Amino acid sequence: MKARIVASADVLKIVDLLRARGYEVVAPFCGRGRDSYFDTVTDENRPRVRIHLPNPYYPPKRFVFPHIERLMAVRAQNGDLKMEPTYDERPRAIFGIRSCDVAGLWHLDRFYLGRDFRDIYYEKRRKNLFLVNVVCTDPARDIGEDCFCLCADTGPAARDHFDLQLMDLGGGEFMAVAGTAAGEGLFAEPIFHKGTAAHLERRHAILDAVRKRFKTITSWFSATVRYVSQGTIPDKTWEEIGNRCLECGGCTYVCPACTCFTVSDRQVGPGEVERVRIWDSCALSGFTRMAGGFNPRRAVHDRRNRRFFRKLAYYFIQRELDMACVGCGRCAAVCHGDIGMPSVVEMIRRAEPEPAKK
Amino acid sequence: METAGNRIVGAYPSMSHPANQGKICVRGWHVHEVASSPDRLTSPLLRHNGHFQPVSWDEALGFVASRLGQIRDQYGPDTVAFLDSPRCSNEEAYLLQKLARTLIGTNNVDHGAGVYGNNSVNVLLDMIGVPASTNSIGELARSAVIIVDGVDLGRQLPTIGGWVIRARLNGARLIVIDSRRHRVAENADIFLQIKPGSESLLYGALAKVIVDRGLMDLPFVKARCEGCEAFLAGVQDYDLLQAAEGCGVPASLIEAAGLAYGRAPSAAILYSTGIEARDEDSIRGLINLALLTGNLGKEGAGVFPLAEHNNLQGVCDMGMLPDRLPGYQAVTDSKARAALEAVWRAKVPAQPGVGAETLFEAGGRKPLKALWLGRYDPVSTAFFGAPDQVLDRCELVVVQHLFMTDTTDYADVVLPTTAFGEERVTYTSTERRIQIAERVIAPPSGPMPAWEQLTRLARALGAQWNYQSSAEVMQEIGEVIPFYSGASHDNLTRDYGRQWPCTTDRPLGTAMLFADGELERPFKFVPLARPARPFGNPEDFPFTLVFGRSLYYWHQNALIRHSETLKREYRLLLLDYPEGFVEINPDDARRLDIRDGGRIRLTTPSGSLVSTARVTSEVRTGTAFVPYFVRQLKPELLGAMGQSRSLVPVRVEKEGA
Repeated sequence: MKARIVASADVLKIVDLLRARGYEVVAPFCGRGRDSYFDTVTDENRPRVRIHLPNPYYPPKRFVFPHIERLMAVRAQNGDLKMEPTYDERPRAIFGIRSCDVAGLWHLDRFYLGRDFRDIYYEKRRKNLFLVNVVCTDPARDIGEDCFCLCADTGPAARDHFDLQLMDLGGGEFMAVAGTAAGEGLFAEPIFHKGTAAHLERRHAILDAVRKRFKTITSWFSATVRYVSQGTIPDKTWEEIGNRCLECGGCTYVCPACTCFTVSDRQVGPGEVERVRIWDSCALSGFTRMAGGFNPRRAVHDRRNRRFFRKLAYYFIQRELDMACVGCGRCAAVCHGDIGMPSVVEMIRRAEPEPAKK
Repeated sequence: METAGNRIVGAYPSMSHPANQGKICVRGWHVHEVASSPDRLTSPLLRHNGHFQPVSWDEALGFVASRLGQIRDQYGPDTVAFLDSPRCSNEEAYLLQKLARTLIGTNNVDHGAGVYGNNSVNVLLDMIGVPASTNSIGELARSAVIIVDGVDLGRQLPTIGGWVIRARLNGARLIVIDSRRHRVAENADIFLQIKPGSESLLYGALAKVIVDRGLMDLPFVKARCEGCEAFLAGVQDYDLLQAAEGCGVPASLIEAAGLAYGRAPSAAILYSTGIEARDEDSIRGLINLALLTGNLGKEGAGVFPLAEHNNLQGVCDMGMLPDRLPGYQAVTDSKARAALEAVWRAKVPAQPGVGAETLFEAGGRKPLKALWLGRYDPVSTAFFGAPDQVLDRCELVVVQHLFMTDTTDYADVVLPTTAFGEERVTYTSTERRIQIAERVIAPPSGPMPAWEQLTRLARALGAQWNYQSSAEVMQEIGEVIPFYSGASHDNLTRDYGRQWPCTTDRPLGTAMLFADGELERPFKFVPLARPARPFGNPEDFPFTLVFGRSLYYWHQNALIRHSETLKREYRLLLLDYPEGFVEINPDDARRLDIRDGGRIRLTTPSGSLVSTARVTSEVRTGTAFVPYFVRQLKPELLGAMGQSRSLVPVRVEKEGA
């Protein structure tokens, strides 16, 4: 991987370079209070793009997997049905995506593109996506109460799956690391300069220091993965977790690694139907209900245990090469009953495990 | 709101909002599907030869104005009524009641939840002078004890349910009073699963425990309350053991709950204003308890009458009540009327109007000729009366809505409104927070904001209404309702809304009522005679039949039906039990040999019917719960007993054994 140095005063010029190359650039902005959000950069809002700010709560996964999207229109035509798929192929760049969310996108890639069936709607968006990752280095602004990327091994600096990575070295300089040829292609621009060994040392020193600034530094994932995979977690613990779930679905909607969706057709005009894809959630009881009325996960704790089984069981880790949790902490913030990932891992760790099933 | 082009394509909460902190419910996560639904109405519709035809706004409003005028002149103003949904904005509700009162000359105004909510308004006004939550939702994090009475927070108000569960995790003691075992009840320290209808007996017994153990807050009672002597005398009639028998819960649990509440440095009581079986005495009972222990005017304490609709509080504040003007003054109060007449420059009728429940009585007393329904769909959501028959007899039915509904079948005119996110209006939440909903996209061409429709209609009726924006309407609301006087749109946008009283002197609003100790009038105890027996079932009819509304409310909702995810979730029970169902407890089911999904016969002293059993441990033993939407069940079972009672003695048997 190649690295360059860029002056702080020039770092937002990367947004301009990408826009000039025809990308729709989405970048983080500050909202009210401690809110932040991703939005499309325009000439008007360009000066308000921020590098250091709380990671937006509504995750950037929607740029490859929207909250709601039209898949196709179906029209009655000459006694036949005409189907017109809707693809989004616009070149898009996410500027300022955090390392946890980069890992989340990689997880979506494994799910949607990693096996025999490739999801064409996802693929068209993804192959035109350029990622500018920003390393979380400012403990006050970048790192939230609930962040635990250290435990999930996704941050604070992503190791791969980005096109370009930016890290604030202090002293008016950023380090830019290219992760792909497309990223490296930007280094021809005059704002990038060669770095020195001292820059590399600063990078290591900053990362060492930042790693100590996380509030949640242990999550005992390994024990939990083992208990979940072996099925030795007492029912009582799952019931306790289930009783605190109010079935809002929020944890799945904000999760950068959650992939589930439902598909529905709706009438949009005379003789015309649109097929939409909508985020779905394993928290909802309609999610697993069979057409005949049988619901294998009728009880709420059965649905909750499904979530953690899906994210942590060895079977899925083997298939997707990683846990389906990237340590962003959003599920902890969104949950009414405090059963986000860190709390659940803690509850499972403390529970008296049942003897392993043979 | 997430927008792309001019479409709302996503919704997510603000982490910084004081009441939800980024935690919302499944309805919130899917609100964008409703606004973007392809089924939205796009043009005013006028019925012509039995069929709707799209017409221009001028034609539609002109027709409504001329027909309303004719009916008013021919049959009298009180043959016209205006009902709206507790989801309407403040501006819309305010203009609707103003139009009814000044241009038609009737106080026949009400909102769809008035049937269950208005007794709570009356009791609160009488006893503490303010018909709203006394404290803020966020204070629950600092309550030592929380009582949740008769509300399934998990299903109905998850945001508040979350505050309660998290408070419990952080050390608060949670007491749940309910005949149903719901999600929050599973988290309770003390769960009083009482017999339906025995709440006021329970509150009397809790007061007795507090008095007997000397846990009263005497300084508070002496300094700030009146009527305590008579109340205390009445409390002596209660007996813990008798109450335990009457309520069907162990005396030790009642005692433990009384001690926990009485000893808490600060304790909050949450109850639902939307409960079918909730009588006024049970509300009086819980307020008495809060007064007795000084749990008003301090942090983490208070009484929370929870509104289950986004703007139930607001439409009541705006005077969408048949007997109360904006700001809760009685319509019979001539001084209050005179003050309003000065602002409105029009007469206000002195005779209280008729509410929705009476209007929809089958074969109602006074003939209704014209009915205006603002986003209200009584045909599918009113569990009382016979709205379809009443609508059928009206000469003019006007419906404002986003979509066609079951009610529009009876409409002569349908007026399409703008949706959440398409207009800038205000709503008032259950913690008195007046909030502005910003316009994030332009409405589709066709629909018009409801406040603008009303303004144009008023002009067509000859009034000089000149509101150019919803902000101007809010300005006038501030002139009319003293506790909204500081709530201009400008002020509301500066933060996450303001909690009323928000006055020109206190523009930042008021998080907690009664904090400064200065009262316009003392709080009032109301003595409650001990109910002889809360609910005595004859031997032949050992079960109590409860007609429930709240839990199954949502699936009939016109908004839910236009979200794919919500439609799926809220239809599940109907898919599993297509002909409706009667819920009974597994213990009762085992004893009676009734299986889930099996046939079940209910017999009351006046009728009998067969339905499908839904066996669930959520209901208490000895009760049979019938959701309200199983509409035909009610007349069959109640027959001559009338529809007024929600608790009925019943016999439950297996059918076709």
